[in-house]
Amino acid sequence: MNDRLLKTTNPGGSPLINERLFKSIGKPLQRKEDQRLITGKGRFTDDFSMADQTWAWMVRSPYPHARIVHIDKTAALAMPGVLAVLTGADCMQDGLNAIQHSPVPSTQYDVKLRGPGDTPVFTGQHYLLPVDKARFVGEAIAMVVAETRDQASAAAEAVEVQYEELPWVFDSREAAKPDAPRVWEDIPGNVLVDATFGDIEGTEKAFAAAAHVVTFKSHVGRVTGVGLEPRAALGHYDADGDAYTLYAGSGGAVRQKRELADVLGVDQKKIRVLSFDVGGNFGTRNRLYVEAGLVLWSSKKVGRPVKFRAERSESFLTDYQGRDLVTDVSLAIDRDGKFLAMRAHNLSNVGSVLVSLSPLGKGSGLITGSYDIPLATLRAQAVFTNTMATQAYRSSGRPEVTFAIERLIDRAALQIGMDRVELRRRNLVKPDQMPYMNAVGSTYDSGEYEINMDALLELGDFAGAEARRAEAQSRGKLLGIGFCNYVESSIGTPKERVDLIVHADSVEVVIGTQPAGQGHETSFAQVAADVLNVPFEQVFIIMGDTDVVSAGGGTHSGRSMRHASTIIVLAAEELVMQGRKIAAHVFDVAVDQLAYDDGVFRCLYDNRAWTWFELAAKAAAAKLPPELAAGLRVRFDNEMHTPVFPNGSCMCEIEIDPETGSLEIKRYATIDDVGRCINPLIVHGQAHGAIAQGVGQAMWEGCHIDPATGQPLVGSLMDYGMPRFDNLPSFKNEIAEVLSPTNPFGVKAGGEGGTTGALAVIMSAVEDALLPICGVIEMEMPATPLKVWTAIQEGRKRQREKSPARTDARPEVTA
Amino acid sequence: MTIVSMRVNGVEVSREVPDNILLAYFLREELGMTGTHVGCDTSQCGCCVVHVDGVSLKSCTTLAAQVNGCSVSTIEGLANEGVLHPIQKAFAAMHALQCGFCTPGMMMSAVDLITGHGRPLTEEDVREGMEGNLCRCTGYHNIVKAIITASHEMHAGAGDAQAA
Repeated sequence: MNDRLLKTTNPGGSPLINERLFKSIGKPLQRKEDQRLITGKGRFTDDFSMADQTWAWMVRSPYPHARIVHIDKTAALAMPGVLAVLTGADCMQDGLNAIQHSPVPSTQYDVKLRGPGDTPVFTGQHYLLPVDKARFVGEAIAMVVAETRDQASAAAEAVEVQYEELPWVFDSREAAKPDAPRVWEDIPGNVLVDATFGDIEGTEKAFAAAAHVVTFKSHVGRVTGVGLEPRAALGHYDADGDAYTLYAGSGGAVRQKRELADVLGVDQKKIRVLSFDVGGNFGTRNRLYVEAGLVLWSSKKVGRPVKFRAERSESFLTDYQGRDLVTDVSLAIDRDGKFLAMRAHNLSNVGSVLVSLSPLGKGSGLITGSYDIPLATLRAQAVFTNTMATQAYRSSGRPEVTFAIERLIDRAALQIGMDRVELRRRNLVKPDQMPYMNAVGSTYDSGEYEINMDALLELGDFAGAEARRAEAQSRGKLLGIGFCNYVESSIGTPKERVDLIVHADSVEVVIGTQPAGQGHETSFAQVAADVLNVPFEQVFIIMGDTDVVSAGGGTHSGRSMRHASTIIVLAAEELVMQGRKIAAHVFDVAVDQLAYDDGVFRCLYDNRAWTWFELAAKAAAAKLPPELAAGLRVRFDNEMHTPVFPNGSCMCEIEIDPETGSLEIKRYATIDDVGRCINPLIVHGQAHGAIAQGVGQAMWEGCHIDPATGQPLVGSLMDYGMPRFDNLPSFKNEIAEVLSPTNPFGVKAGGEGGTTGALAVIMSAVEDALLPICGVIEMEMPATPLKVWTAIQEGRKRQREKSPARTDARPEVTA
Repeated sequence: MTIVSMRVNGVEVSREVPDNILLAYFLREELGMTGTHVGCDTSQCGCCVVHVDGVSLKSCTTLAAQVNGCSVSTIEGLANEGVLHPIQKAFAAMHALQCGFCTPGMMMSAVDLITGHGRPLTEEDVREGMEGNLCRCTGYHNIVKAIITASHEMHAGAGDAQAA
């Protein structure tokens, strides 16, 4: 833990937050979740089965874009075990509605994204099965339900779909052109968002007056989440109760229930969704999948439970994907290295239907990064293409814009001949500027960016890097030193609900978040334990079943710890009032004769005192008046809009073998300001995983599409470059705790910072390693050995042509 | 249909099953032992690793019939009458799991790796030896630490890795 940074009592705090008494908060407690997960007793979706259950298999489009001319079910229906073959026409006949994804970020703190000419954003229609055409390879066109999974799979082969192939487009730059094939006929082109922000005139003036103008263009490619649990859904329609039950791991069961009710056209009360252990989410499971609706609908039709489980190849084709942003940025700098203005043009590929504009929107608010850049303009565009839809993927939008600004600054340092650390130092937002409103209107809540940067340089031994470079060179290797700062934002759904219930031997906290490994059962219990001053071991967090969890915003955008800690303490304040009333009643004294302090209710005029559990036991035995009959139980709804801005710095070193282009990460260090850290064991774990996911994109991962056929080339873990045991190093991480003034505990977020800086820092290191041979490189991620080797060959060829005698000397950089 | 018999975590089982049923689904769907997971269907991810006659094996690409008559151990059998195995203790203590989906296969592979070495492991041993298991949550950092720690407990007295 980083104790350099002084924790202060938060001005927005609560009388129940007393750091002096913390027994759990801030401690690296082992997770409550682990006992079941390490003994094989997890509760993942496919672990649930129902009596008499049937199996679903999807017939998927082999074409990126094709009209559905006719579907012949006859042969499939005659296959053994087949119970139903269902198509888009059947959906229409039954009056099913399109999924309402609410894709346009709409809180007051979100950048306002609009359609071309300031029109409402066109989203497309996301039906469970399409009627008109297939818009991406892998789109479910029909569904087979059979007695066994093998029978359903075999029958799916026999469903005869007559397609008329259409011209297709997968690249966002091509799709934005006026003559591109149209994914939706409802709008004039594929561009669904075109909005410009910032002070255009001021920015232009600043650029005109600048001593230096630096530009950077890149495509941050398409990746996918690869949660190791393939998607699954088990649906059951109970005709007696006219009610639906769905088992499906997601990022929030309440949202799934609401959206499924809309799709099926039934009351929300008729649907129960259960989501327990979730084998990785990273954003991919935060939007509803068609299969969830299909198993419920088909269960009603066949009169039995229906289960779907994706193959890994289906996950690669049809899990919501991430990133895919084309960015073109430029920076105006004065003669002293002060940033004057920034211009950005970001083009987001939303895929075949709009499920979320979060990546474009979140990124748009952060284009200026950690720096005080007084003026900026941004043009944000989004296009449809014939690809799987994209969704907020770990740190939605922020790794992309961090990559853009940080690569731009590395480039600026080279161009104007200034040390890259010094150039950043001159422009970082300073603590006394906080809260700081950036040039596109985002207000950073708090942070000590320069202190973080210096701490990181020390942690990663930046000073010793040149010696390590020389040592690598003596072995014929090129060592690159990557470095970057980042700031990200955590906004998310503003509403949350909690039920706090005290029993004689335990506390239950019912809440509407949905972890996929983030340890809510542990960290939320730490908060509740310290707020109520009860043992951590006796606090239990209840999530995931919509019959118990009546409302809640789910888990995304780093919202959960902040919302949970806030609502738990607010609910606890109410619970204390309730407790005092109950205690007064039970002991027959006036309420004002009862004090509450640090988990104990005391009678002011005698020595009687009761803990929460003692009071709960007495309350259970007593006859309480109607207004107190619920006992020690409160329900609390909270709405919290103000975003927070986690931030930090990263450094890495990559060694490249110039003869093969192979890369090895030798060192990776981060400082992450997560606000108050509830459980450092968990927060460090989040940092590790987040780093791996960002490094993966920078070095190996990519959902490649064959430009000749529009076919995705990635269909298994043999094709997709995953972070592995043997291609990652161990990390050096420190947590900085600069408390956010926006919420009682001062929490920011800890799950996404690691990813946010990773793309930039890896490519910074690769460019730094290759600098003496290649100069500035135009290399799109992932930086594969082939790309690196090719760059080295081309660089050497240029060097030979220019000056046959020249060696691989590093360019001079002055501070 | 075929009758397949094996000993699973010390208990004899026998089931009449489709000829093509994979060991992973024999365990999950015939025996209801859902601790063994399937993550990729192509023996890349290692979520499905179990031990067959003491050796780790990817059960998603093994027919149940292939291990007819064998002794199979799974994650459900790793703890000994409620006492956690050193690898289980180390995973929990070092936060070597997040979502927990890869964890059963990860631990079964690790136990075989540790047993096979006869001495405590180095980071290099682990990073090379565990290459057939994938995790998406942890960046492997804490898994490496946990496996090294468990290897020391399992080989207590066998000398450290540097000496080996």
